[in-house]
Parts: sequence; C-alpha cells; structure tokens
Amino acid sequence: MIDMAEARPLARAPNSPVRKAPRPSRSIAPQVIDIGVQVTVVAVIAGIWEFGARFGALNPFLLPPLSVVLERLWEDVLAGTALVDVGLTLYRALVGFVIAAIIGIPAGILMARSAVVRWFLDPLVSIGFPMPKIAFLPIFVLWFDIYDTSKIIMVAFSCFFPIVSATYAGTASLDKWPIWSARSFGAKERELLWEVYLPMAMPQIITGLQVALPVGMITTIVTEMLMGGRGVGGAMIMAGRFADSVGVFSGIVQIIILGFLVVKAVELLRRRILAWHPETRR
Amino acid sequence: MSATQLAATARRQAAHAPSGISVQDVSHTYGARGAGTLALDGINIDIEDGEFHCLLGPSGCGKSTLLYLIGGFIPVQSGQISTATGRVTAPGPDRSIVFQNFALFPWKTVRDNVLYGLKKAGFGPAERAERAQRYIDMVHLTGFENAYPSQLSGGMQQRAAIARTLAVDPGILLMDEPFGALDAQTRRVMQEELRAIWRNSRKTVVFVTHDVQEAVFLADRISIMSARPGRVQHVIDVNMPKDRDETILENPEFIQLSEHIWRLVREQAVAATRGAH
Repeated sequence: MIDMAEARPLARAPNSPVRKAPRPSRSIAPQVIDIGVQVTVVAVIAGIWEFGARFGALNPFLLPPLSVVLERLWEDVLAGTALVDVGLTLYRALVGFVIAAIIGIPAGILMARSAVVRWFLDPLVSIGFPMPKIAFLPIFVLWFDIYDTSKIIMVAFSCFFPIVSATYAGTASLDKWPIWSARSFGAKERELLWEVYLPMAMPQIITGLQVALPVGMITTIVTEMLMGGRGVGGAMIMAGRFADSVGVFSGIVQIIILGFLVVKAVELLRRRILAWHPETRR
Repeated sequence: MSATQLAATARRQAAHAPSGISVQDVSHTYGARGAGTLALDGINIDIEDGEFHCLLGPSGCGKSTLLYLIGGFIPVQSGQISTATGRVTAPGPDRSIVFQNFALFPWKTVRDNVLYGLKKAGFGPAERAERAQRYIDMVHLTGFENAYPSQLSGGMQQRAAIARTLAVDPGILLMDEPFGALDAQTRRVMQEELRAIWRNSRKTVVFVTHDVQEAVFLADRISIMSARPGRVQHVIDVNMPKDRDETILENPEFIQLSEHIWRLVREQAVAATRGAH
C-alpha cells in the first residue's frame, strides 16, 4: 500500500530504502554560492578598510589599516594578553547566561502553568523587559563589589528577561493535542512537564536563548568598559585612554570574532536539539 | 508476584479487554453555565462489547465533544459515562484515541512515538520493541521508523498515530474523524485496513465522522446526531456482511442505506444552517 512517492523527496528517514537521487554534476549547491557571496562582501569591506587607510584616504590614526590591527592582535595573542581578555569576557558572558537560563526557563514554565507564579512574575517581567538593565549597574557594584560577581550578575539579570519571556510564551501557547495524547497513554501531570511541555516549547525556549546570548555579550563588554580591569571591554577602554587606536580596533576585531563564533555555536546547538523540527531541514 | 504487581497486571488486562460503553443522560454546556452554549442535550447511547459504532452528524453537533467526554479529556457535567473499568472521570489506558490532526509528538521519531505509549502501558523493554515494530509494519511504515513526523505526509502521519494507539492494545478505540485530513484514495485504503484490524482484534470502536459513506462502510451501528444542541436523533443498524471491501460500495443495499441515512443527516444539516441565521 505504501507508495514511496508519498514521502516528500527531501524528507527522508535516515535508513530509508529510498535511493538518493544523483545530483546534477554541473550545478553548484545554493549554500556554496551563499557562503561565497558573504565571504566576498566581508573581503571587500576589509579591502576598502585596509587600502583606504594605507593610501591616505583615511587618517591612519583614526582608522589604522586592518593589517596593522591584525598584527597587534597577533602580538597580543602570542603575549597571552588577548587570550586572557577574551577568556575572561567569555567566562563572564557564559556564566551569566547559564545562570539566567537555569532560573529563567523554569520560571517561564511555572508562569505558564501556575496562576500564582504568573500573578507575581508577570508585572515584574513586563516592567523589566523593556528597561535598560545596565541602569542597575551602580546598584550591583554597591551590592556585589567591583569584580567578577557584579559583572556576572549584571549579565544574568540582562539575559533573564528574554529567556523568561520566550519560555513563558512558548509554554503558554502549547497545542493541546499532544498533551491529550500523552494523558490518554497514562502520563501524569508531573511527567507531562518533562515529556511534553518542555520538548514542545523547546523551539521558543531556544529562540529566547539565542536572543539572550548576544545581550549577554553586549552587557559583559559594557560592564567591563564601565568598570575597567581585565577583559576585552576593559582593555579597549584602557587603549582608548592611551590614545592607542590600534588597540581599540584590535578589541573590536576580538569582539567580532568572539560574537560570531558564539552565535554560530548556538545555531549549531539549535539544529542539533531541534533535529525533529521542520525548520532544520530547509 | 506481590499484591501490587498482581493488581497492576489485573489493571493492564482490564485495559485490553473490550468493553461496552454506557452513556446516560449526558448534557454538556460550553462557556459559562447559564449563559453558555448547550452542545449536548440528554445523550443516551449504549455501545456493546466489540461493537463498531459511528457517531454521525453535521459539523458543530457535538459529536467530537461526546467522544472527548468518553475519553475523559473533558469532565462530565451532567449524566454519567461508564465502561467495564467503571465510571469515566479521566483519560485512561483502556480508552485510546486517534485525533483528527494526528497529535503525534513531533520531537519523537515514529518508533519513539509508538514506544512512548507502550512504555506508559507498562510493557517490558523487549516486548515494547517487538510490538512497536509489529505495529509499524502493520501500518506499512517499515523503513520510516527513524523519521520524524514532519518528514512524513499526512497519510503516513495518521498511520503512525494509529500504530501508536493500536500498539497499546486498548479495549476501546476512540477515533475523531481520523481520516478527515487524508486524500480520497488514502482514506479508502485506511478505512478498509481499520475495518480489517477491528475484525481481527475485536475492539470496541467509537468513530466520529460527518461522512455518511464512511459511517455505513465502517459501522455496525450508527448514531445520527442532530444539529446543536446535539441529540441522538436516530440509531441505525448496519446489517451488512462483516467482511467489507470496495465491492460493497456497489451493493444495492449499501447504496439504499447510504441514501436513507444521507436524507436523515441532510435534515439535520439544513436545520443547522437555518439555526445559524
């Protein structure tokens, strides 16, 4: 009775007996073209930067050539200072982010499942979400000193809101049918949480995490800039004070690379966790 | 075996035994009491052990509501529904359901979907694996065990949902327009297969549909429901051969009965459209 044509061509089970159609030999995969164009755009911008600065079109103090910036970055990497700064920034951003996730995801689920929790948290989240969280920095410095603790709490505080909102929205609007299915097979309320609510809300939860992570990176850099000390933000402010524009741009390049890698890593994680989701197979 | 194990085994066996369903004076109101919409009004149906019973009626007649009440998904407001295991108060493994929109777990593969119900029903690991494969094979999804629902067509998803429900071997099978979303050919094949499965396993089936031909093809008895508020208007016995296939569609008796039922349903459908104005 089963007709193989019934299965959508791109949607094939890994062990499916359907044979893979041979790819036409001369066409280039669209992804390759995409990546090629993107790399070219970045290369052109880098080229304009480099040669614009080098041939005097731009003031080399205000905009030092890219090669000079990369050279400084390389020196700092060899000296170990760049790795310490990047490592510290990454550590603060990730620890804050993970704390926010550990508190925010259960809080969001509880908000969706319990009226009492919702009454309590909904006004706080509504007020807190649109507010610039960085305004709390002086308070956190006052409460938690000027070292790592206050920075990490600042990051966690910033990341909490997008995570709790996305989790709440995702869990509150669940389709009732899979829940009814699970109940008809005998799942108890407590089991439903892990077995149905969480996996069903996972796409929105991960979206919340993806919004929160760059927020965490930004908050880390800004707190470092405001509070000084080590870390990419602190190093850039220090370079700025010494009129070391190469150092400032080296910091910017570090942030770009760090942000790009972290965001890509989460995208990969999303594709892994949501392997079942239609979005994963485009 | 300990007493609790014995009790668990007894419960499991009770869940697999076919059972009649008694619906007595069931009424149901949606929305606020007093101001709400009366969806079901004084329903009385007695479904026998091993009967294939269709609830047939125009859309909005409350037939799905009645099925959800039997399933225990929504609480009974007035009247009583009982099966061999007692009064229905909540969903239970003795009454498994196939929904119109499949309701598979999208994050689980076909095999894991089927295994979920089996695990909940208390089957051991070896038996779980064996039964899952057997029912996946039965609905012709062999080779798609590791596919996610989103990778399958609608017909294949519904077959996976049916495999998941049948695998736990419920005594009572509730089906809410399960073939409504399928194309005509797939639908016909699924109807024949369901009829064959039912013939071989002797379950009590309550099947909701608005398709007259489907009801006559599948059922032993058909309850025709009125437009809102839903009442049982007629109960019709389908005295057709137990083994049915496509050839029955040309059987004069089948055609005559279908036309008779169609007229009865049409009255209700017309009443429903008038009621809407």
